[in-house]
Amino acid sequence: MKRLLMASAAFAVALSMTMSAGAQDKKTLVFVVNGASDFWKIAEAGVKKAQEELPNYNLELKYPEQAAAAIQQRLMDDLVASGVAAIMVSAIDPKTSTEALDRVGGQVPLFTTDSDAPQSKRIAYIGSSNVELGKNAGQLMLKALPEGGKCMGFVGLPGADNARERIEGVKEVIKGSKVELVDVRGDDIDQTRAKRNVEDTLSAMPDINCMVGFYSYNTPRIYEVLKESGKLGQIKVIGFDEDPITLGGVREGTIEGTVVQNPYEWGYEGMKLMAKFVEGDKSGIPAGGLIIVPGQVIEKGNVDAFAAELKARVGK
Amino acid sequence: MLKKDLGLLLLILVVGAIVAFINPRFLSPINLSNTMNLIGLYGLFSIGVGFVIITGGIELSVGSMFALLGVIFIDLLSTYNVNWVLAFLLIVLAGLALGSLHGFLVTRMNLQPFIVTLCGLLIYRGIARFYTEDATAGFAFGTSFPALEWLVAGRTFGIPHSFIAFIIIAVIMGVVLHRSIFGRYLFAVGKNEEAARYSGIRTNRIIASAYIICGGLAGLAAIFLAMYTRSISPASHGNFYELYAIAAAVLGGCSLRGGEGSVLGIVLGTILLRSISR
Amino acid sequence: MADPFLELSDISKTYPGVMALDGVSLSIAHGEVVGLVGENGAGKSTLMKILGGVVMPDKGSIRITGAPFTALTVAEASRAGIAFVHQELNLFDNLDVAANVYIGREPVKGGPLKLIDSKIMHIETKKLLRLLGADFTPATSVAALSLAQQQLVEIAKALSLDARLVIMDEPTSSLTVSETSRLLKVIADLKARGVSVIFISHRLHEVERCADRVIVLRDGRKVGELRQGQISHDAMIRLMIGRSLKSLYLAPAAPPRNEALELDDVSTSTFPEHAVSLKLRQGEILGLAGLVGSGRTELARALFGIDRKLGGEVRLNGKPIAIGSPREAIERGIFLVPEDRKRSGLLLDVSIAENISLPDLDHYTQAFLMQPAPEAENAERQRKQLNIRTRSVHSAAGTLSGGNQQKVVLAKWLSMQPKVIIFDEPTRGVDVGAKQEIYELMRALSDRGVAILMISSDMEEVIGVSDRMAVMHEGRISGFLERDRFSEDNVLKLAVGQSLQ
Repeated sequence: MKRLLMASAAFAVALSMTMSAGAQDKKTLVFVVNGASDFWKIAEAGVKKAQEELPNYNLELKYPEQAAAAIQQRLMDDLVASGVAAIMVSAIDPKTSTEALDRVGGQVPLFTTDSDAPQSKRIAYIGSSNVELGKNAGQLMLKALPEGGKCMGFVGLPGADNARERIEGVKEVIKGSKVELVDVRGDDIDQTRAKRNVEDTLSAMPDINCMVGFYSYNTPRIYEVLKESGKLGQIKVIGFDEDPITLGGVREGTIEGTVVQNPYEWGYEGMKLMAKFVEGDKSGIPAGGLIIVPGQVIEKGNVDAFAAELKARVGK
Repeated sequence: MLKKDLGLLLLILVVGAIVAFINPRFLSPINLSNTMNLIGLYGLFSIGVGFVIITGGIELSVGSMFALLGVIFIDLLSTYNVNWVLAFLLIVLAGLALGSLHGFLVTRMNLQPFIVTLCGLLIYRGIARFYTEDATAGFAFGTSFPALEWLVAGRTFGIPHSFIAFIIIAVIMGVVLHRSIFGRYLFAVGKNEEAARYSGIRTNRIIASAYIICGGLAGLAAIFLAMYTRSISPASHGNFYELYAIAAAVLGGCSLRGGEGSVLGIVLGTILLRSISR
Repeated sequence: MADPFLELSDISKTYPGVMALDGVSLSIAHGEVVGLVGENGAGKSTLMKILGGVVMPDKGSIRITGAPFTALTVAEASRAGIAFVHQELNLFDNLDVAANVYIGREPVKGGPLKLIDSKIMHIETKKLLRLLGADFTPATSVAALSLAQQQLVEIAKALSLDARLVIMDEPTSSLTVSETSRLLKVIADLKARGVSVIFISHRLHEVERCADRVIVLRDGRKVGELRQGQISHDAMIRLMIGRSLKSLYLAPAAPPRNEALELDDVSTSTFPEHAVSLKLRQGEILGLAGLVGSGRTELARALFGIDRKLGGEVRLNGKPIAIGSPREAIERGIFLVPEDRKRSGLLLDVSIAENISLPDLDHYTQAFLMQPAPEAENAERQRKQLNIRTRSVHSAAGTLSGGNQQKVVLAKWLSMQPKVIIFDEPTRGVDVGAKQEIYELMRALSDRGVAILMISSDMEEVIGVSDRMAVMHEGRISGFLERDRFSEDNVLKLAVGQSLQ
């Protein structure tokens, strides 16, 4: 880590030098993510695609060293200091960092993605609506359990906005039906605990016949536990995001379906939107500043096409 | 010593009774089996860390070792298609190598164990993240290693193999610590390194051995953990596990000043910690 | 003389099961030096704790300059001018001398800021140090001082408190001969200034040199008081142990035999430019005298493989040997009884039996497993042979008295086959009765053909026990003495580097 820190410090210095040197000819637009994950590799592909169409800009995607608000904040401050033209950020803790976001927003145009910060002075949000995604998942649940049933949810951080909104969307759709979301178990993003939560549910609540993985890694953990205990197919599984195991389960038919977001579009459209904005064209910004990129429901029928597209974008 | 362990056992029974009272399903066979599995996973490396603590040192890097060795293990199997027996041995060897490195730095370079292993904690996770470019390492869908999975994640009569491995290791380490010359030396070095040296004990070798044993057990535990979660995000896999190990050892009667502790205590400490965390 | 400074009458103190003090009365006049002697457990420390206000007596009364107390508190004791210089020094070695003297009551300036007024502190400390004839300044770091100098700091601290009575508990146990002389001179100066001193020591000839009066305690009772003129070594011992002691020197059963250990130009890193050559014969006790810091302990450490020797050759029974670690020394039968037994000799919280077996565990194993039975048997055997006083060989070594701890250290080596044993200060902190036992054990070993090198700063011991003596000065041997030329004077001359011719 020490080395990483040093490397990144050296990198930041080098970055600021190249930037100040190239500031006259090329403007830099940066996509700041909230931490390392495969998910952002897809967004990176979108950013690359946008780069091809925007040869007059430098487009970059930046990872904070750790998924901590303070570290992300420092990264943005450094970027502002080195003279970037605009920033799009997936803020780690948008509710409590309004002031800090505004500080960045006061100096360069600031866009949000993935998690919105509506109280801040951000220009626009481009991304999913987690409530909508939750509704999509709710539809999948209804479809999987026409006779009704009891579902258990699994999530990393139950208190986080994205989790709450997804759960809210699910509840909205299943309200009045015979499908019930009994509870949602959190694991603080510890995979061992995530898996144990599933095991515990299986042993403690034999009447559960459907499981929902709200974070990308929850669904594979559900899949593994069910596989180990021979309950695949007996308990319906609905997931979020596109973990390879999740997609495999969908293809196999043991996972009903998964709701995916479209980070590729966020990267691609977001960058183009920022470039336009920097040039003075504000026509792309709607009144409320919300640009919702709808998610996609992946089921057995379209999983292969989706996987092929994903592979083409991320290259693996 | 015996009294302390007995007290711990009593505490476990009390905690167990309370948990069972609140949630009667705690005692269901499946739940007990799941709990045993976790005790096995955490216990394996807690014993190693306990050995280091008995010498008066500390080992803070096991959590990061899990991330590093885990991603390498998964990569060996899924990307390089290495035979799993070979991969298994390579990872344990890598654990032993990291332990030797710590032992060397502590005994020959006279660095503080806290500093050496804290650097390990930071560096190994950094390497793991750099190696995977921060991506999650996991098996492709449907990949399966039946023999390996049976060995490290299987269950026999409902008893998880991780727990069986833990008990076997605990018995071996118990004999080593309490009945062998090496164990006697370990305590002597932890109690009073200088007096141990004056009694002709090669104290550097003994201390380094404790780190090597700890590294080897961490390598073994890394495999069990990797096969349990089957996917590793290097930024978070095994975070703070070193603290669980230290807590289990200290609960089990190991003194952070060195020279005290027992394998039975560490085993009971792990069990207590796992029961409390439910 | 008017009222005595301190008067204790009929002081008793009982601990569960032990009568620590039984009706002890004593008085101390202004400017009087009183020696307080007695074996360990005779009640000296309890008496001192009562004077320091740490322990309350069950019975009896205390008068200080006529004012009566039934018991003192710590604050009252220090207000009355009673100060302690403990055996184990209570100094902060990361601070300088002045800061140590004024620790806890630093002069302040700057009003509410309470800054330390180090100028006043240094000036005042300097005065005290001059009074004591100290050769260091108030700004010196305590870590840089020798033990004797640190002791002076403690005394300066006592004086700065305006002490009227200074109680010194074993002040000379870690001092060299010349440092001891200087301390005795400081005591004389204190006396001249009207300060009373209680001097507690096992080193009786020092008590003999400085005390005006000697009080002897045994089993919690005052068994005697010797006035000037009556004070003598033998008289003190008689009172202390209730019988007279044989002369220290025990002649060997046979003349020494072949050379066991030969040192040729051996040098250590402390004195790289000086080298030691000596021959140690089977069946003799060679005393190694000298000042602390003359390189004796360093030589012992090099012979035992703790440190690397810098140059020269060591031969065992005529064959050159290289010793890279204590393990190698032990395998060859060269053993060391170290100077600081609590730090280097014993595992204090470990049982006696386990301490004894530690260097030779291979002996007590079968198929790599420890066998507790033979381990305990051997410990039991050693306990009988060496007369180690303990309830059980399974009790922790730290529960034993100093002398018995030293016997445990010895038992470690006697369980193996010793060829050469190096004793570094064998009887430090050991009381008179046990001292004699250790000397007898040493003689018995040498009579069995073991070669013994005894490093000692205790003049009485080195003269009384050795068959032959080598004196070291700054890393080299300044002279050898045969028994007929043993005298304090000769040892001192050689120790400070003079020749005898």
